[in-house]
Amino acid sequence: MSVYNQPPAQQHHYGYRQPMPPAHGHHGYGGGYRAPPPPAQHVYQSDPAAFRHVYSTRLAELTMNSRPIIQGLSMLAQEQTRYSSIVAQCIEAHIRRIPPTMKLPAFYLLDAISKNVYVPYAAEFTPFVVPLFLETYDLVDNNTRSKMEEMLLTWRTGSPVGKELFGIGPQVAIERGIWGDGGNAASGSSSRVTPNQVMSELDFAIGQQERTLQSRPHDVAMQNNLAILHQLHALVAAGVSQPELKQILNQLRTLMRNSASTSAPPPIAASPPPPPPPQHQAPYAQPQNHYWKQDLYPQQQIPHPAPMPAVKIEPASALLPAAGSPDILSMLTNLVKSGVVSSNGTPIGAGSSSVQEIPDEKPDSDRLESRAYRDSILRHSVALTTSDVTRPRNHLIIECLYDTQSTQCKQCGQRFADSPSGQKKLEKHLDMHFVQNRQASQQTGRGHHRGWFISLDDWINDTVDVKGKGVDRGPARGRAAEAADQVKRNEELRAMFVVVPPGDEAKSIRCPICKETLKSEFLEDDEEWVWKNAVKKDDTVYHATCHSEAAASATTLVTRLIADDSSSRSRSVTPETNGRIASPRSSPLKNIKSESSSAATLVPGSPSSLAGMKRKAEYDEDGAIRAEEAPLKKVAV
Amino acid sequence: MSDHMDVADDAAFEPKVWDLGPETEYRFELDPGMCLVIVVLRGNAEIFGAELVEGKQHVFAGECKAAVYTWKGCSIEVTGRPSTEYTSDETLPMTAYANLHIAFEQMRVKALAHLRGSPIPDGPSRVTSESPRVLVLGPENSGKTSACKVLVNYAARSRMGWVPVLVNTDPREGGWAVPGAITAAPVAAPITTPSASLPLGAAASSAPTINPSNALLPLVYCYGHTDVQRNHLLLDRVIRNLGASVGDRFEANPEARSSGVVVDTPSTFAAGPANTASVRSKLIRACVDAFKINVILVIGHEKLNIEMQRTYGSQLTVVKIPKSGGVVELDPSYRDRILNMQLHTYFYGESFTPPPGLKLRSNAVYGGEALSDLVLSPASTTVGFEELAVWQIGEKSLAPSSALPVGATRTVSEMQPILIDPSKPGSGLLNAVLALLALPADGDERERYDEEVLDLGVVGFLVVTAIDIPRRKMTILSPSPMVFAGRTAIRGSVEWQEQ
Repeated sequence: MSVYNQPPAQQHHYGYRQPMPPAHGHHGYGGGYRAPPPPAQHVYQSDPAAFRHVYSTRLAELTMNSRPIIQGLSMLAQEQTRYSSIVAQCIEAHIRRIPPTMKLPAFYLLDAISKNVYVPYAAEFTPFVVPLFLETYDLVDNNTRSKMEEMLLTWRTGSPVGKELFGIGPQVAIERGIWGDGGNAASGSSSRVTPNQVMSELDFAIGQQERTLQSRPHDVAMQNNLAILHQLHALVAAGVSQPELKQILNQLRTLMRNSASTSAPPPIAASPPPPPPPQHQAPYAQPQNHYWKQDLYPQQQIPHPAPMPAVKIEPASALLPAAGSPDILSMLTNLVKSGVVSSNGTPIGAGSSSVQEIPDEKPDSDRLESRAYRDSILRHSVALTTSDVTRPRNHLIIECLYDTQSTQCKQCGQRFADSPSGQKKLEKHLDMHFVQNRQASQQTGRGHHRGWFISLDDWINDTVDVKGKGVDRGPARGRAAEAADQVKRNEELRAMFVVVPPGDEAKSIRCPICKETLKSEFLEDDEEWVWKNAVKKDDTVYHATCHSEAAASATTLVTRLIADDSSSRSRSVTPETNGRIASPRSSPLKNIKSESSSAATLVPGSPSSLAGMKRKAEYDEDGAIRAEEAPLKKVAV
Repeated sequence: MSDHMDVADDAAFEPKVWDLGPETEYRFELDPGMCLVIVVLRGNAEIFGAELVEGKQHVFAGECKAAVYTWKGCSIEVTGRPSTEYTSDETLPMTAYANLHIAFEQMRVKALAHLRGSPIPDGPSRVTSESPRVLVLGPENSGKTSACKVLVNYAARSRMGWVPVLVNTDPREGGWAVPGAITAAPVAAPITTPSASLPLGAAASSAPTINPSNALLPLVYCYGHTDVQRNHLLLDRVIRNLGASVGDRFEANPEARSSGVVVDTPSTFAAGPANTASVRSKLIRACVDAFKINVILVIGHEKLNIEMQRTYGSQLTVVKIPKSGGVVELDPSYRDRILNMQLHTYFYGESFTPPPGLKLRSNAVYGGEALSDLVLSPASTTVGFEELAVWQIGEKSLAPSSALPVGATRTVSEMQPILIDPSKPGSGLLNAVLALLALPADGDERERYDEEVLDLGVVGFLVVTAIDIPRRKMTILSPSPMVFAGRTAIRGSVEWQEQ
């Protein structure tokens, strides 16, 4: 406790070792938004001490739950992965130093960094995350605790491959620490389940469903699911017996696993529901794109639009005919059968203790705003005549483009309305830049090329999302497509195997990266024992997924360092095989021979000397390629 | 000696601060090989309606000719030595664009309200409740493209987040593709103008981009020539095809329709020799019909304005707007250089190497993008003659139908596709720019027709870089790898050679 000797009242001066730099003009992120300043890379190009200073100073501003600050700090961490240990030290020191009321945002930062920049940060945080989490958990109030539990649940599948963010050990240790032994589902169904644990998993599930519902507000099935979850929540809050609790928990986990399995990578081994395999306890929807999970984040200035007008607890009989998701319905039916829920569906205490919904904005606030804008713009009289269009009314355009849109993205200059929906768009916009920057840093060194124009059908039906302007970049380049690619790549990796050397069948070996045992399996067709999801490099067997991830991050790190160090920022042309281990059907164009003779070409009048790389493609003379033409029918880039 | 040089270089990159009063602009022109860095120190500044970010180094090169305009006043720091630079307060066109934007904004919100069934308040606004579908006409060097850009950029900057469709019918400009193309693209964020080879932003590539207008998704049709008169029947047809597709897009998403359309045109629509008058009016008619134009803007051309008022005044609004004093007269070789640069940019991307002596910070941007990842790698493929079918539309040296004796008909019309035999010497394929066509939609074979190649969209442009007649092979430069077997391409009259 002595660590936290600063009373919360003195928030302004809790012990910073370093003085605030005088000219660092970005204080006071208060209610309004100010974009995180562009990372001034040149300042600490080669000076860890300077970086530490900058990072801890900016960290000190994280006194409230502010998404822009968290985003700015995680972007900075992402850009400076070589200082990952400094970032980790700063964050740990910060969390230990600040008063309990301010700890949650700092944990959100830790969460954001480790999910979005998994390598190397997850490994940096692992050594201290367990004690830090548990100590913090002890200090904070109940509200914060439930937020922390919610976050902890996302850690179960927080790693890029859908595993525990900090490894199974720390995950279990934390869960045990806060929920007792029951927290670890892998330890068997005989252990105790605490109501708290079930409540947090329920909260988590409810939150997840609500978020999904936001994107599909008219999904009746989803609304029903949500109602049932709320019902269960009320039930648990009212108090149920231990076996019932366990049953609810198991059903809930099965349900969440099923509902996530559409978007999650398929589990390696499907095991019967009750104790789910630890790595898939609560798979989260969209595990590929961790950033978008971060709806945990501060929304207090701009509350979520209400997913539904009100959560009404309806009798189950009314819900059943609506035939929503069979999972939720069967779950409820099972519970009814087993007597956990009474057949009229109204649990004891329902309504009295269900989650308190924060009074939210009306869902059509966007409409209201655009209506207000419409009325204001229509108040002016501008005639489309030759004489009237040259009459000066310049205040109108200034008001329209600048004055009513005073928040500006510091990266691209786009402006956003000074209104709740404008702020929301800004957040979405910053998320977009974040993803773009991450992609850019991952893609350095790869050869790029102009895409083919999209087909007429795609052009006609692709409508750029009017509200999140500029977020969508068409069907082929969309996030969905990228996520699908990622899933496919993961599947391909998981399908890889290494044949177990004769005699070694009984030997258990561990992946040097994740330290987990490789699973062996007998292949009927080949009559051989193999390690699944495995790849052999220099006589060491790794998980194919771990190896690919490590290779990819090493490449980006190296190329980034090269790029940072040379002032000319020359592009290193890395062979494209990096991080993409030979998959059997990666491309129908595998006959292309890469030839890295840089054909320097110069066009007169062109601004600079151009050193483009030309890739030579040679095709076999027999029309072997022709047979593979079909899959290319719709080439849309 | 080297000392002396260094001094000169340093002087060239000595930053200079310009204070601009409200509603004035700083105009600059760059010669080949020059570059310029502009930093906004204070205030708001925009280039053709795209706002510059305060504090960032904005780099311009590639013979860029542009103006930094400010509504409220600003200070900018300029590094580099342009061939021409001056400030001007004769910015009446900007006032006109601002008013037009307000009027178009009114049309958009009314159109959206109409669509959503909301009541439209009574007010002084007299515009229709149709979305603005604007045709911009004007003679050579009158600033048509700049006007289109400002109007589209302002719409994209609106808090309503409109995504207007920008259409380019000027085959000499080529839009986001290459010269000879007729294109349309939805624009979600302001188009930047870092160089003359990317006047309308860039088509999407696999390189990461920050600004959506550097990753545009255009719909492209092939006309194949830079000269409007060369085959005006084909141009007419291509414009109508593009218009139909834009219409289909709006049909598919009615809310997108309210953002509207802005159509840029070649100067040859507006003015030319007397004997081309009927062709010009036919092509304008094609645009008006195809894009369901409801506003025609005529830039600084009184005669054309009267003509348009007479022809269309009863069915749509014709507005004359002033010509900007900043418009640059272009020398004849300029267009050729730009054509070369555009093709190079299409295949190899835009690469910018700062000259020695120019120090750029890490936040420097070129058209909104970081300077590092601008280079693209095209693919070069050898294909057999029989794999890729290359057509041309009409005969190469064709007298116009009107020149034939009365009553005579032609065996080969201007619109007839003719298959080119690459094995014949003099096929003219070497260095030709080809438009690779989309595959026809799957469907009933009976729906296929002879002139189908005229109506298919373009998926990309290719250049024949070598022909080997004995081995019946040709080498093709393409933006990305592609299997060409069974594909169809069209050859126009545009040629390009890597130099």
